[in-house]
Amino acid sequence: MAAITLWLAVTGQLALYIHPRYNVFTVTMSIIAVVLAVASVVGRRDHDDEDAPPPRRSQRALGLTAAAVAGLFTLGMVLVPPASLSTATADQREMNATAGGDEESLAAAATADEASIARFTVREWAAILRQTSDLSFFADKPVTDLVGFVIADEDDPENVFYVSRFVVTCCAVDAQPLGVPVHLPDWAATFEPDSWVSVSGEFASNPSSSSLQPVAVIPDTVDSVEQPREPYLF
Amino acid sequence: MSSPSLDSARAPGPHDGGGSDRAGRDHAGHDHAMAGPRRRPAHYLWLVGGVGVLVTMVALRSLTAEAGPWGLPNPVQDLLTLSTSVVVESLPFIVLGIALSILVQVWIPEAWLLRILPRNPWGRRAVISLFGMFLPVCECGNVPLARGLVRRGFTIPESMTFLVAAPILNPVTIITTHQAFGFDDGILVARLLGGFLIANVLGWLFSKHPDPHSLLSGRFAEQCRLDDGHGHTHSRRDQTLDLFVRESSILMPALVIGSLVAGGIQVLVPREVLVSLGSDPLLSMLAMMVLAFVISICANVDSFFILPFASTFLPGSIVAFLVFGPIVDIKMLALMRTTYSTRTLVQLTTIVALMSAGLGLVVNYVA
Repeated sequence: MAAITLWLAVTGQLALYIHPRYNVFTVTMSIIAVVLAVASVVGRRDHDDEDAPPPRRSQRALGLTAAAVAGLFTLGMVLVPPASLSTATADQREMNATAGGDEESLAAAATADEASIARFTVREWAAILRQTSDLSFFADKPVTDLVGFVIADEDDPENVFYVSRFVVTCCAVDAQPLGVPVHLPDWAATFEPDSWVSVSGEFASNPSSSSLQPVAVIPDTVDSVEQPREPYLF
Repeated sequence: MSSPSLDSARAPGPHDGGGSDRAGRDHAGHDHAMAGPRRRPAHYLWLVGGVGVLVTMVALRSLTAEAGPWGLPNPVQDLLTLSTSVVVESLPFIVLGIALSILVQVWIPEAWLLRILPRNPWGRRAVISLFGMFLPVCECGNVPLARGLVRRGFTIPESMTFLVAAPILNPVTIITTHQAFGFDDGILVARLLGGFLIANVLGWLFSKHPDPHSLLSGRFAEQCRLDDGHGHTHSRRDQTLDLFVRESSILMPALVIGSLVAGGIQVLVPREVLVSLGSDPLLSMLAMMVLAFVISICANVDSFFILPFASTFLPGSIVAFLVFGPIVDIKMLALMRTTYSTRTLVQLTTIVALMSAGLGLVVNYVA
């Protein structure tokens, strides 16, 4: 497993599982584990527990089962291509529950220049949307190339979807979905849930009558894009 | 209140009955040492086999990478991703825990650790419960360290006191909890005091056990006897490698199984089931503890995970989550089972659950 972890690090795929701040620690400890594992095979002398009584049948069966599960799981880690979390997990967690933001950040966003606004990610927009639905605030703030995966708005799944990203604090287990609502009638005819898109457009009052989101992006363009190398926001 | 002598609660070793009946076996151990280093042909077979497996895996991985995504159903793919995430996140802590355990068992002078501790059992356990301040390892990494402490002569209740307190009373957890909640509603203070209190009450209760050895799993108890029976005949290098192999081969399968179960439940159990319970003062506490048990998230970051629930759930429920989770969850039970008996874990879980819930009720009443 340590070797697979190193392989994930070398191929830049550790970010699918843990926050990059842990990369150095993870790689260091994995190297230590691999070195000790190799040393134990190559250099360990023969003094196993000859004195140990043979394990009971139940103990042996339990041990073998655990080892088999661990072996299969390791094999799965090798064979199944690494993947980011999907809408199945996003559905299990409340959208935008962790969208941060305070009055200061809102004031900073209000006075941000065009270039800064163009770099806003799902995180920044979600935080802003959590604090205000005042359309005058969004008047001169277009959405530019906002990248995320598609997940349906459960209140109006036919006409509204979220451009969504997971925010990870430590590892994928704590991933929390953030999303920006986009109003695009019959979007599912063009885009699959879970597919990655880039959205440009402007915020406006949400035309949907059933969606609970008062403000949504009215898109100028919605393009399919490749999943980013780091799909999560950290 | 009196406490049994330290020796009576210590893991079986050469200074008690467990060692004397193995004198003949010690002799056999000495024979090995005198015969000098030797390697079984099996070692070379393992080496060749290991290299072969590695090459095969790399080849298989290359083939599957070219084949692209497998198109697994989302829940299955997410189960794998979540479980792998827990394993990858926990692995370095487990290795660090094993390394610290080896350090304590093999490289630190035998009497040093025990000598610096107070003789009074309460004071001794109180100091041990603060070890986490200097060992900021998350809970899964503390399991091998707790095992190492038992082998090094600490009593079983003392090892438990350390294991329970260390994930909560460590600087990383304190900082992240403060970042998430500040001093609002006394959540941070309640978590720290609660962790300290529960650990020391547990240590005290288990120190009253008439047969402390029975608290251990049969396999671990036997390993303790064998360590003490002929461990001194090996070089430190050999002891280091032996311990690494033994601990990793025991802990890694437990970690994988715990991670798989935790990942599976996260995918399969609707979140609404838990959240719908959040409005009831008592049920919300239960829901939070069940959530902590299910998600099996690291104590260092669980505050950020639970932060979104703070507006829905009462502060006491959040405290119950933050205290119960680092001590008892799916992953930890799988790991702790390598060391303690099932009966011990049932008792430990019951006590921790009751105390966490009690603590939560107090916080709700005060806050």
